[in-house]
Amino acid sequence: MPVISPHAFAPPVANDRGSPVPPTLREQVRRLERAHSTQRAGRAAVPLGVAEIDRLLPDGGLLTGALHEIEAGPSPSGRVAAHDGAALAFTAFLIGRLGSGTLLWCRQPSGASDAPPYAPALAGWIDPARLLMVTARRDEDLFWAMEEGLRTPGIAAVVGETRAADPTAGRRLSLAAEKNGVPALLLRGQPAPPQSICATRWRVASAPSPELDRPRWRIELRRNRFGQPSVEEMPSWLLEWNDEARCLSVAPQALDRSAGTPRRERLVG
Amino acid sequence: MRLADSRTLVPDLVTLPAEPLADRRLIETIANWCDRYTPWVAIDPLGDAMAEEGAEACATGGFGGDAGLLLDVTGCGHLFGPGEVGERALLADLVERLSRHDFACRAAMADTAGAAWALARFAETQAALFCPVNGQRDALAALPVDGLRLDKPILETFLKLGLRRIGDLYPLPRAPLSRRFGDQPLTRLDQALGKVGEAIEPRRPPPAFRTRLSFVEPIGRPEDIAAVTSRLLAALCQQFEQAGVGARKLEIALYRVDGSVDRTAIGTSRPNRDNPKLMKLFEQKLGELDPGFGVELMILSAPEVETWTGAQDTLPETAPITANPLGEDGTIDLADRLALRLGAGNVVRLLPRDSHIPERVQTVAPISAPAAADGAWARVASMKGIRPTRLLQRPELVETMAEMPDEPPRRFVWRRHSHRLVRIEGPERIADEWWRPRPGGRIMPPNIVPPVRDYYRVEDDDGGRFWLFRDGPLNGAKWYLHGFCA
Repeated sequence: MPVISPHAFAPPVANDRGSPVPPTLREQVRRLERAHSTQRAGRAAVPLGVAEIDRLLPDGGLLTGALHEIEAGPSPSGRVAAHDGAALAFTAFLIGRLGSGTLLWCRQPSGASDAPPYAPALAGWIDPARLLMVTARRDEDLFWAMEEGLRTPGIAAVVGETRAADPTAGRRLSLAAEKNGVPALLLRGQPAPPQSICATRWRVASAPSPELDRPRWRIELRRNRFGQPSVEEMPSWLLEWNDEARCLSVAPQALDRSAGTPRRERLVG
Repeated sequence: MRLADSRTLVPDLVTLPAEPLADRRLIETIANWCDRYTPWVAIDPLGDAMAEEGAEACATGGFGGDAGLLLDVTGCGHLFGPGEVGERALLADLVERLSRHDFACRAAMADTAGAAWALARFAETQAALFCPVNGQRDALAALPVDGLRLDKPILETFLKLGLRRIGDLYPLPRAPLSRRFGDQPLTRLDQALGKVGEAIEPRRPPPAFRTRLSFVEPIGRPEDIAAVTSRLLAALCQQFEQAGVGARKLEIALYRVDGSVDRTAIGTSRPNRDNPKLMKLFEQKLGELDPGFGVELMILSAPEVETWTGAQDTLPETAPITANPLGEDGTIDLADRLALRLGAGNVVRLLPRDSHIPERVQTVAPISAPAAADGAWARVASMKGIRPTRLLQRPELVETMAEMPDEPPRRFVWRRHSHRLVRIEGPERIADEWWRPRPGGRIMPPNIVPPVRDYYRVEDDDGGRFWLFRDGPLNGAKWYLHGFCA
């Protein structure tokens, strides 16, 4: 007859107090958690080329076999963003860092005021000839198309533009991404209810730039699963895209004329 | 005879309104059902009824009451037995199966469509319905001239002249007959006797490749249907390999026990004969098929095939002429799967176009179209100025406020939100393409200045970047928002 120790039901806090978890064990658990993704995918992470950000990300870059969310954030003054041009550009920048292969881009048309991604601008980050554009009218079709893409060999990345936040679909996408080592990116035109499934969640807002040729973005890393803890509660950077050098770099803060201090928000997830 | 006269003769006469459209549907269902014998099935709308009330019915899309079916069973009889025995068996099988569905039918078989038509309608004995090879001259001789599918006036004249049987026409000299009645009687006679060919136009173009499997016991479970599809597909793929082709379209047809047929088709964006991949496409579609009370026969056909352009045809050393970034197998198959569920127009690739008009630069093309050449997009992007990451399909009118009428605005209102502009770059003047026809179809006259747009890239005090343009002349020009920049 099995005997259940009364200590088995002790709250975990009590255990922690008794013997602190050694960092090596933490590392081991962390590796176990995503062992399948690092084993199957040849490359585990792709660096962004911005040292300040890469330092915080797991394995020094964007995990390939994972789900990432990019949402268009409110402007520095707190107003709702008029558009997600910056978030779209950041998404294109991220998938442009990945290797060759087809890029599956799924989106929902929005009638007469539809504004699809414009390839001549995307050509700065990716070759639009690699794009496979898919339009789906319903959310479930969009998630299905994304999942099919993740399971297909030869696909470098899958991007989905949707406002729907479906935890089940997110979980499925995350698993499919892990299994095949292909990143899935959800691009949201507006901040969506947070899901605790994605590996990273970014909030991208356009910020005043010194020149129009060098757009600046205010980027917050709102969720960073598996990553390094940051000193700040919510790491945030003002980044500048240099179109000639084709690189993203942290802008000098002195030129930042964004109004007021960034609002303090709790890190979710 | 009129209805009133008929009622006088038979007081308890049952009458029903004619339904030409229902007749048409029924005859089409039977024609579908007949696909089991041959892919070459045609509906024969001719009949006595055609001449009078039938013409009206046909005009509204129906068929005359005695429309028939023509089946070209050349080369099909051997499936039922050797030589003439097989053909007789086929005919008997057809009649037997149709009568099981409570259809009274008469079917005849002959070398020519004309002879079979006449025999089916006017043969007096059951044995005469089957006309042996080259026996149509004797078989037709005793039949009435109505069997020749002639126009009503000619028929009436024949009867007045005492030409009652088809055999009566045999000894007549041809030239006077042709002078008196035109070409029709002789043509019809020659067609019936096989001296002149007669084309039977099939309802559905017969596919070059098809496989079939019929079942002793009807099947209905989805797994069984999937298994049979997979077997048929394997057989068809072998045929493809021998012929050196690949399928662009495949169709599976379920012949149900109640006589109806259910079909579904899959399409691929390039010739394909990869059994597992095609099966994967079918798996998406098989769920839509309804086996009804059971399926007794399944036919898999390939209505569209193309010459195989698989990878093994090119030597590994020779690079393909156009590098295809989407060329990897997986992507094309993915596109096929997505297109099957979302529609072909919703799975596209982007192609650049030589144009100055922003909305014309980017076009979409189906996945089967050749991809943009290497570096074509980079060239397009480098030629134009900096472009917005999103382009509105339709530019939206904005309200603007400017200090001076000629100056770019200091503020604009879009969707009821006001944006104060702090940075403006421009203008980039884009003129209309005068060499293209106008919407009305006219080329612009040379003395008129083509409409121009002055594009400005602007940034508001919040860092939002937009692409605005001024349309038309300076005075009273309208401003539009056309895109959102990074």
